[in-house]
Amino acid sequence: MRAPMRGGGGRGGGGFSGGRGDGSGRGGRGRGGFGGRGRGGADMTRGGGRSGGRGGGRGRGGGRGGRGSGMKGGSKVVVEPHRHEGVFIAKGKEDALCTKNMVPGEAVYNEKRISVQNEDGTKVEYRVWNPFRSKLAAAVLGGVDNIWMKPGSKVLYLGAASGTTVSHVSDLVGPGGVVYAVEFSHRSGRDLVNMAKKRTNVIPIIEDARHPAKYRMLVGMVDVIFSDVAQPDQARILALNASYFLKAGGYFVISIKANCIDSTVPAEAVFASEVKKLQAEQFKPMEQVTLEPFERDHACVVGAYRVPKKQKPAS
Amino acid sequence: MALYLLYESASGYGLFLAHGIDEIGQNTEAVRNSVNDLNRFGKVVKLAAFNPFESALDALNQQNAVSEGQMTDELRNFLELSLPKVKEGKKPKFSLGVAESKIGSHIYEETKIPCQSNEFVLELIRGVRLHFDRFIENLKPGDLEKAQLGLGHSYSRAKVKFNVNRVDNMVIQAIFLLDTLDKDVNSFSMRVREWYSWHFPELVKIVNDNYLYAKLAKFIEDKSELSEDKLEGLVDILGDEDKAKEVIEAAKASMGQDLSPIDLINVKMFAQRVMDLAEYRKKLYDYLVSKMSDIAPNLAALIGEVVGARLISHAGSLTNLAKCPSSTLQILGAEKALFRALKTKGNTPKYGLIFHSSFIGRASAKNKGRMARYLANKCSIASRIDCFSESSGTSFGDKLREQVEERLDFYDKGVAPRKNIDVMKAAMENAASQGGEMDVDKASEPSSKKSKKKKSKDNDDEKADDKENAVANGDDAEPKSGKKKKKRALEMESGLTENGKENGSSAENGTEKKKKKKSKDVETDVAAVSEGKKKKKKKSAD
Repeated sequence: MRAPMRGGGGRGGGGFSGGRGDGSGRGGRGRGGFGGRGRGGADMTRGGGRSGGRGGGRGRGGGRGGRGSGMKGGSKVVVEPHRHEGVFIAKGKEDALCTKNMVPGEAVYNEKRISVQNEDGTKVEYRVWNPFRSKLAAAVLGGVDNIWMKPGSKVLYLGAASGTTVSHVSDLVGPGGVVYAVEFSHRSGRDLVNMAKKRTNVIPIIEDARHPAKYRMLVGMVDVIFSDVAQPDQARILALNASYFLKAGGYFVISIKANCIDSTVPAEAVFASEVKKLQAEQFKPMEQVTLEPFERDHACVVGAYRVPKKQKPAS
Repeated sequence: MALYLLYESASGYGLFLAHGIDEIGQNTEAVRNSVNDLNRFGKVVKLAAFNPFESALDALNQQNAVSEGQMTDELRNFLELSLPKVKEGKKPKFSLGVAESKIGSHIYEETKIPCQSNEFVLELIRGVRLHFDRFIENLKPGDLEKAQLGLGHSYSRAKVKFNVNRVDNMVIQAIFLLDTLDKDVNSFSMRVREWYSWHFPELVKIVNDNYLYAKLAKFIEDKSELSEDKLEGLVDILGDEDKAKEVIEAAKASMGQDLSPIDLINVKMFAQRVMDLAEYRKKLYDYLVSKMSDIAPNLAALIGEVVGARLISHAGSLTNLAKCPSSTLQILGAEKALFRALKTKGNTPKYGLIFHSSFIGRASAKNKGRMARYLANKCSIASRIDCFSESSGTSFGDKLREQVEERLDFYDKGVAPRKNIDVMKAAMENAASQGGEMDVDKASEPSSKKSKKKKSKDNDDEKADDKENAVANGDDAEPKSGKKKKKRALEMESGLTENGKENGSSAENGTEKKKKKKSKDVETDVAAVSEGKKKKKKKSAD
């Protein structure tokens, strides 16, 4: 893997650095995309509908350039299941994270696909999951103990953006699960809806995650909430959504970008204060992993919601 | 008292009766534990009625209404049919728990069904959500997800389709394209110069303008064929006979190499392309100007179309820009410098995008920061007028521009600017004579303000209401009618005078200013909020 190209592209999503990897160009450079730039929003501390919030690390994605640099030629690649159910590791020249493609033959964002022939002659297709583009993948590679998503899970995904990670989550939970993907930006929402057309377990919701009441009709109780909204009040947003939709004893996975919350204090202090906030909202954070080297000053916190007390008083 | 729960699902409205609630009491912690177990929860909460949506379209309508906190006719019918009848003149013996207070208040207004929404109700609704598929008998597993899927898609598609910011998006795209075109036209022109200079190197020195150069390159083609009989055409292009002669002289004594006809044809074609692109850029600029005069006339009049469009594009939309405090607007586009300054505790930038307006360049170095602040104030006022005012016109923008000019003079030569209140009065009179009746009563408002301060608040509010009369001296009391947009316009209006006043009276010392601001803040808020809230605000400000 190439070292993450960072800083060079740190333009805060200005001009052409689009909000998504557009179809143009294969491999490393496929991040064109007019228009979908993250807007700074009204106040500059936040990333406006989250899309711009990833400014700093705009270089991520497309870590490896060109075709054929490894995963092509399926014969040499062996796919093994990962510790997390639904996630796989493709072992070729280099190891890569991947998920089983729910829509064989189609790539969502020009990611690489690996076809593997089983012993009985059936073919299974996997899609490579790029940790530079997906914080969840980065968390998995960062060694998170449990992501709590497995085949059949119901997931509420806040801050779905164009749906690149959502597509992997949809692979992960499989046809038995559901992914409710909430995104506020209309521009990236457009891509999200297009992606969801082909994946029947993704329910796209173009609405502000700050107001879960607005989409209360569309969402049922879920097992896990994944939140990647990069807003200063993201802990509150998560808590609000959890109070509506997360079942008791459910789990949350939140990715925290320190710069989006407070850029003046050290990242560690920001993470600590966010964890405090979560604890105040009936969450029980269980572990925290840093997303280095894939993202700078990011952390992923995993925990449970409304954990029942150990000893239940006999009623 | 019985508690009913309204649960909106993707497949229909459900009404649940929570009885035995008294035993559980209002202790939310206790509710929480019993909610998870269907056996226990099912004993206290029972399905009272369920009204499935008729079609996908119907569901979409309901979803739209629910997300806006509105009650549809269908919901009203359902509630009135399913809830127990209330005898005339008697208080209902039940209440309806809803997930959101907004829809609750709407239901109460329309049907007089008492609604409540609190933590306790939300907990119960959580329980209903958890067990919903087992409450409805005809619902097969997976049915609800299918309904959610269909509804989610149609809702999201509609959201994208009917984007409120669609006009702004055109401006944003246009300004992006304009920037790109500028870059491209320039680099292409350089290419034409380089290419044609192999043939006619002297021309670059004579003609500096890129567009003219491309035009000439196309006209001259082979320099050896340039003679006096082409002089007329050259004069046409250059608009200058001396220069045209110079070109001909240079062509005779050129040291450029000869190009084959096919090379010349290619150069000519490329020059034509560059010319087309340059012309297209002009057209695009006109388009931008017309678009800006549509959506943000005052902003455009104040700082020009291009900078105005850049501000809009940077904020994301005109609404976003209007929501920005002017201190944010001032440094819009200088985020990198701002965050660097915040991190290192250095000096924050003085200006961002607005630097490109000519005003700041004209101020002396010492006053650039002040000018930027003043201009940003005016810009945010202009953008708010553009965003929330119903009438369009540039009267405010023009006046604001004059004010900025005056301020420039003030810094330069010490000429005292006019009082803000007078300027605004004039602007409102202008606006009134041009168009809307609502501007008339705006005109009357600030006059009473300065002296009376808080006391004048009530007057202001009343004035907001008698806009129908279109009179300038609306002091007669009228009951409040709630028109949001008008109110917002008014609020902004008073904010506007506040702002300006502060700037106008520069002789004030700091503390006085602060006090004044505070009291005025109250005024501005008050214009927008209702009577009851007003008193609260007043207290807090005091």
